[in-house]
Amino acid sequence: MEPEVVFYIHTFPVTQPLLFTWIIMAAVSIACFFLTRNLKTVPRGAQHLLELLVDGIENLVVGNMGPEGKKFVPLILTIAVYVGISNLIGVVPGAYSPTENLNTTLTLAAIVFLVGHVAAIRKKGLWTWLKGFFQPYFFMFPINLAGEISQVISHAFRLYGNVFGGGILLSIIYMVAPYVLPTPLLGWFGIFSGIIQTAVFTLLAVVYIQIKIS
Amino acid sequence: MLEIAIIVAAIAIGSGIALVAGGLVGIGEGYAAGKAVEAMARQPEMEGPIRTTMILGQAVSESGAIYSLAVVLLLIFNVMLPLVNRLLELL
Repeated sequence: MEPEVVFYIHTFPVTQPLLFTWIIMAAVSIACFFLTRNLKTVPRGAQHLLELLVDGIENLVVGNMGPEGKKFVPLILTIAVYVGISNLIGVVPGAYSPTENLNTTLTLAAIVFLVGHVAAIRKKGLWTWLKGFFQPYFFMFPINLAGEISQVISHAFRLYGNVFGGGILLSIIYMVAPYVLPTPLLGWFGIFSGIIQTAVFTLLAVVYIQIKIS
Repeated sequence: MLEIAIIVAAIAIGSGIALVAGGLVGIGEGYAAGKAVEAMARQPEMEGPIRTTMILGQAVSESGAIYSLAVVLLLIFNVMLPLVNRLLELL
């Protein structure tokens, strides 16, 4: 399961997921820079698409967390765009989804976890936050702690397992029947499942933060 | 050599049994989707919230299948493949 090393930058190995993470970062940054030049009150062309995306995520976050969730919109939007493009790039021949690697998804889940707890401490104060672990009784502490840790693990493994499992199934199909049959399966696992898993990951990030701060 | 072969066989059988969890989760998720369709047919104006809640519930209940998949992947790629390679060297 070790990712392939593509090239070295002065003894620093650049692996496939890292390379494609950089490519996606560059593409998103450039797209954001050029698409947000001369914005108009009445949108035209690509601005429609951007406003649809931003509006959708904002409605999701504010609908779940209320008006105080507005400060989480940039984070959730970034996660949604990054995970979405990472899942969809797997359809391109020769490309490698960064989400097919456990390190990427674990990092994203850890970011959501840390943001949720820091926001909870800032909102409720350290003492109330600590007391939350001893609810409803003090001896429930180990169970609450295990629940928090397993939340991160299941959040990360859900995305990784779906993308990686789809990839394994596709490679088996490629071995058995290299023509015709892989095309609809690629559409199913690459595009449909990728979009669904992006929605699930984003929704779960919102809900996990909302549970921690409420 | 026979010992390694037995271990490999046991891992293969265990992986297959672990993936039963996937089938059980499939039953549960299908039931949730069916109930959601019933609710949508009864109240079409609540379609958005029902779909969100359905996907959330399915995602959480999918954890079981995901854990079993993680266990199987670990078993196969980190334990079974090195043993198979050693077995092939011995042959």
